[in-house]
Amino acid sequence: MSTNGVLIDIADVRKVYEMGTTEVNALDGVSLRILAGEYVAVMGPSGSGKSTLMNIVGCLDTPTSGSYKLRGTEIRERDDDELARIRNQEIGFVFQTFNLLPRADALHNVELPLIYSGTPATERRERAKAMLAMVGLGDRTHHRPNELSGGQRQRVAIARALVNNPSLVLADEPTGNLDSRTGLEILALLDEINAKGNTVVLVTHEEDVAVRAHRIVRLRDGKIESDKPVAKAGATPGA
Amino acid sequence: MTPIGRSRREAWAALGENLRIAVRALRAHKLRTVLTVIGNVVAVMSVIAVVSIIDGVNKYVSERILDQGLNVVYIDKFGLITDDEAYREAAKRRDLTSYEADVLASRMQLASHVVAQAEANKAIRYRGTELKNIRILGTTEGYPAVGKYETDQGRELEDTDFQRRRPVCVIGSEVAETLFPRIDPVGQSIKVSGYELLVVGTLVARGNVLGQSQDNLVVIPLGQFEKMYGAHRSLTIIVGAASGVTLDRLEDEARVVLRAARHVPLGAPDDFAFSTAETYMALYQTLTGGIFAGTIGLVAISLVVGGIVIMNIMLVAVTERTREIGIRKAVGAKRSDLVSQFLSEAVVLAFFGGLLGVLAGVAIALLIRTITPLPATIQPWSVAISLTVASAVGLFFGVYPATRAARLDPIVALRQE
Repeated sequence: MSTNGVLIDIADVRKVYEMGTTEVNALDGVSLRILAGEYVAVMGPSGSGKSTLMNIVGCLDTPTSGSYKLRGTEIRERDDDELARIRNQEIGFVFQTFNLLPRADALHNVELPLIYSGTPATERRERAKAMLAMVGLGDRTHHRPNELSGGQRQRVAIARALVNNPSLVLADEPTGNLDSRTGLEILALLDEINAKGNTVVLVTHEEDVAVRAHRIVRLRDGKIESDKPVAKAGATPGA
Repeated sequence: MTPIGRSRREAWAALGENLRIAVRALRAHKLRTVLTVIGNVVAVMSVIAVVSIIDGVNKYVSERILDQGLNVVYIDKFGLITDDEAYREAAKRRDLTSYEADVLASRMQLASHVVAQAEANKAIRYRGTELKNIRILGTTEGYPAVGKYETDQGRELEDTDFQRRRPVCVIGSEVAETLFPRIDPVGQSIKVSGYELLVVGTLVARGNVLGQSQDNLVVIPLGQFEKMYGAHRSLTIIVGAASGVTLDRLEDEARVVLRAARHVPLGAPDDFAFSTAETYMALYQTLTGGIFAGTIGLVAISLVVGGIVIMNIMLVAVTERTREIGIRKAVGAKRSDLVSQFLSEAVVLAFFGGLLGVLAGVAIALLIRTITPLPATIQPWSVAISLTVASAVGLFFGVYPATRAARLDPIVALRQE
């Protein structure tokens, strides 16, 4: 990489929404750099702009002004299809509500990003199976989401996020719909993923979730309030 | 790996994926799927059923009609009249009489037979039984050859019957069976228009043409016919071709002879008309063509209505699956991916309707074949064309819903519950 390990380079990004006649500054001059391999938690109360920041980082949305470079590539000027390609290649999403296709089995859900990257069927199947095995669901490949527990669904979602080897895993309240024990298992899985070298950005409003990251960025009213590393208290063992 | 090979493989993979998605989505709503495609079912069913029926009727009619009247030219005053004007013109012409028949018989080189006939529909009676609307055919010698009449019992009408205008007759098989269910008709007398006619023979059954019995007739000498109904009626002259003579040549020779006999001035149109079995077949095929055109109209309406229904249901599907669309976009589906996904679904839906229509159409054709004498056969081209058109309807009416799906904002779509 020619960007000295900088994965995300956000400079003075603003996002303005028009709500009827009034304009809302969801993001008001945010600058943020995240290096490859980092584990960053983004915190903030609702309305702080963290969802907007996530959408922009995840290339689901583009900034009104300012610059967002992902691996050195400017995102602002991209059209829908280019953004889709970037999401497919560079970003793995993990959502609070899992967002699996209800009628498709676990394997097919994991294959989805590979389908859109045009990976041949046999290779696709192999990689999706390997990824499900990695998250501990090697024996659940043909279960549909409604036949899986919440924790298992989130594991499927994580397998889907990782299957295309993205540069960034973006987890938006990944434990929000899980009981605390299952939540811990999922967080341990994210730790493990980061330990293997994946960059993880975690959006949460829970303090004890955020401290699993190595760095916490706090947002308030569309601005970065603080950006501090987490004091290392030794490796936390998984549940 | 060349870029072209790669993209072609991608395209095939995407197509397979789209078809799987489509089938899965349609199976999730079986009843809705079936109701949605009724328009296409009706359209395709109509095409296949009507095409096979028309084909069956054509085959049947040509077998029957051509079989009866092959190598024969009919000459009469009217010919094939299709409108009022032509009828009024033709009505002014001089009648064809046995004089013309005699002239043709003596002068034509290419004719094997010249037969003059007249006919009327009358009631006939034997003892207490009366049959209405029986075809009374007055004819000259040679009628078995030009009309394919074969004797069953008794004998044909003979020379002397014709020369002496004897009150004798040959009856069709249906007349024989109805009037004489238990006794031999030969030697009995039937009463027609006040005349007693001696039955000298019966005819072999000839079956139906277009639901019209060919066995409901009484054949008598033309002289006897004229005694009963008067001589002032125009005859039909039937000229049979000698072997190896084409109908065109036969017609040409008959025209020359007739024009001379009737003193038609040079350059004036014929004051008589020719028709052959082919003439009637051609008219018949024009009629069935009209039926076919009518069907096309019905089919077009069904397809448009069906297409609109499909479009509606696809719009519903897009709304229902907004979240799915959001998920797909989040993991990298491009607009074109979603367009082709929903287009495939619309086409699969329409094609499925087409398939149901093919099944229904084939069922109808087979039913008709079983319960009627029509040899209705399924025409592969009608199956191919109607399936193609049905699918094309899905493609056309799927464009708008698919575009709507592709344009959804992934953030909004993902937020939908």
